[in-house]
Amino acid sequence: MEVKDMQLESQTTSAESPSGLRILWRELVRDKLALVSLIFLIVITVFVFGISLILDQDEIVKVDLFAINEPPSEEFWLGTDYGGRDVFGQLIIGTRNSLSIGFMVTLFSGIIGVVFGLVSGYFGGHIDNVMMRILDFFMVLPFIMIVIVFVSLVPSYNTFTFSLIMTAFLWMGIARLIRSKALQEKELDYAKASRTLGSSHISIIFKQVLPNIVSLIIVTMTLNLASNIGLESGLSFLGFGLPEDTPSLGTLLSYATNPQTLEHRWWIWMPAAVLILVLMLCVRNVGEALRRATDARQRRG
Amino acid sequence: MALLEVRDLKVHYPIRGGILNRVIGHVKAVDGVSFEIEEGKTYGLVGESGSGKSTTGKAIIGLEPVTAGKIFFNGKDITSMKSKTKDIRRNIQMIFQDPYSSLNPRKRVLDIIAEPLRNFENLTKKEEKMRVYELLELVGMSPESIWKYPHQFSGGQRQRIGVARAVALKPKLIIADEPVSALDVSVQAQVLNFMRDIQKELGLTYLFISHDLGVVKHMCDEIAIMYRGRYVEQGTRDDIFENPQHIYTKRLLAAIPDINPRNRDEQFAFRQEVQKEYEEAYDEYFDEEGLAYSLKNISDTHRVALPEKG
Repeated sequence: MEVKDMQLESQTTSAESPSGLRILWRELVRDKLALVSLIFLIVITVFVFGISLILDQDEIVKVDLFAINEPPSEEFWLGTDYGGRDVFGQLIIGTRNSLSIGFMVTLFSGIIGVVFGLVSGYFGGHIDNVMMRILDFFMVLPFIMIVIVFVSLVPSYNTFTFSLIMTAFLWMGIARLIRSKALQEKELDYAKASRTLGSSHISIIFKQVLPNIVSLIIVTMTLNLASNIGLESGLSFLGFGLPEDTPSLGTLLSYATNPQTLEHRWWIWMPAAVLILVLMLCVRNVGEALRRATDARQRRG
Repeated sequence: MALLEVRDLKVHYPIRGGILNRVIGHVKAVDGVSFEIEEGKTYGLVGESGSGKSTTGKAIIGLEPVTAGKIFFNGKDITSMKSKTKDIRRNIQMIFQDPYSSLNPRKRVLDIIAEPLRNFENLTKKEEKMRVYELLELVGMSPESIWKYPHQFSGGQRQRIGVARAVALKPKLIIADEPVSALDVSVQAQVLNFMRDIQKELGLTYLFISHDLGVVKHMCDEIAIMYRGRYVEQGTRDDIFENPQHIYTKRLLAAIPDINPRNRDEQFAFRQEVQKEYEEAYDEYFDEEGLAYSLKNISDTHRVALPEKG
């Protein structure tokens, strides 16, 4: 039997069907722009996280009055800002911070949204009603205002706590989407069949329904990632994001509000601006390709 | 004692409307259905679309809420979901109508067939796989199917996977909700004969829901005809097919196609005659709302919804 098993396994793995994940991957490879974007994204991420391991953040954010606003040179690859701080180092650390916040917010809001949406949609009825009213409550809260109040009240926070506060206001979109999908899926016979076969509600939700919406979740979360990175940079630009001793792409960009810097010291803000643009475009290209893959009519691969 | 006894089962759905979303009426999907099934027999539930036959089956297994009435399994009351103990759940299983949506597209055959085993039996991975192989053999499918996904199979094969899943726990009662109506005719016979074979092999009892009288004649010992949520006629196979009493039953039977072309004119004339009788006697056999009357015994096994006066 053992031998027969082995043979069967080796025979059939080659004949396996394209699963949802494989369709996503095929579409990515087929769409050259998305593939290049993905490679770009991976290279930037690995590079930034790798370099930031060797860089000393305290050293970089230390004010050095003898090297204010210096143009790019051997010592400072991208020059220095008004405090004599190395822009290149800030760029690397800032990208790392912006990316980590983007990833964390996407992940946390994804998890909360998926669980909330699945439970709400699957059970329906009164549970759905109550949960959707809670969601509506979060929807009407003024997100930007509460974040501003938060950063001015809380004395110290880091990337982690900052992503938590962002998460609290960003899980609703995905929850709504997943709920509508769960409402559809639970009406299908396979969910009912599971019920008659003795599976509990929890196991039906997470073992039967969830695998059927995985590709939708991946697509939505990818597209959310782009907007979350943008959102964090925007808040930091306004000065309501991370504090100045924790660089972010947005803080670098905000130096450009000084007309002197904007006009004469391009090395301070230009790299950050370009990086934000490239990052968001890349994530967006990948997300769009994935979104296309979930709709058979739009697929190219 | 009957294996399954259904007493005056009612499934009503509220119709909501008006400004305050009040209940303004009810759809009576199933309206006072009673029957008994003996162990090892096949009980056929026949009716047109929307007559409540599927709802009856789903109410018994607990997929639809029961409005009123009682369901007894082996003498135990199992009407409410709470009263369905683990033991009862494993003894009542269901075969679904649509073999395309009733199997999870993301699961391999192994996971699909093993799902009930995982819920009710503590098996090791190896024992579980052995059981799935046995079940696949029982339904006549090759062992390598175990690693495939549902969409790699034809409709008939999928339905057999559905059957394998339903018999995995060796249940006593299987509710077969139009198990072959989504399949083409050549595969129908295959699945039906196979269902009969495993019935003998495992001593199963079927509640067989169908709109196809030919299939029902082939499968069932006892037959009930439903119309708009109520029973019209109930009896053994011979009672229904040889001695139909209600005009609705007669009309249904007249609609069975006859493949012999020589009888065509005869058949046509017969249908016209039945249709005429149906139209003339409609008011007599159905009340003002168009519902059937309550059943009356006309023999030990045969019960018909005849009008009060006669």
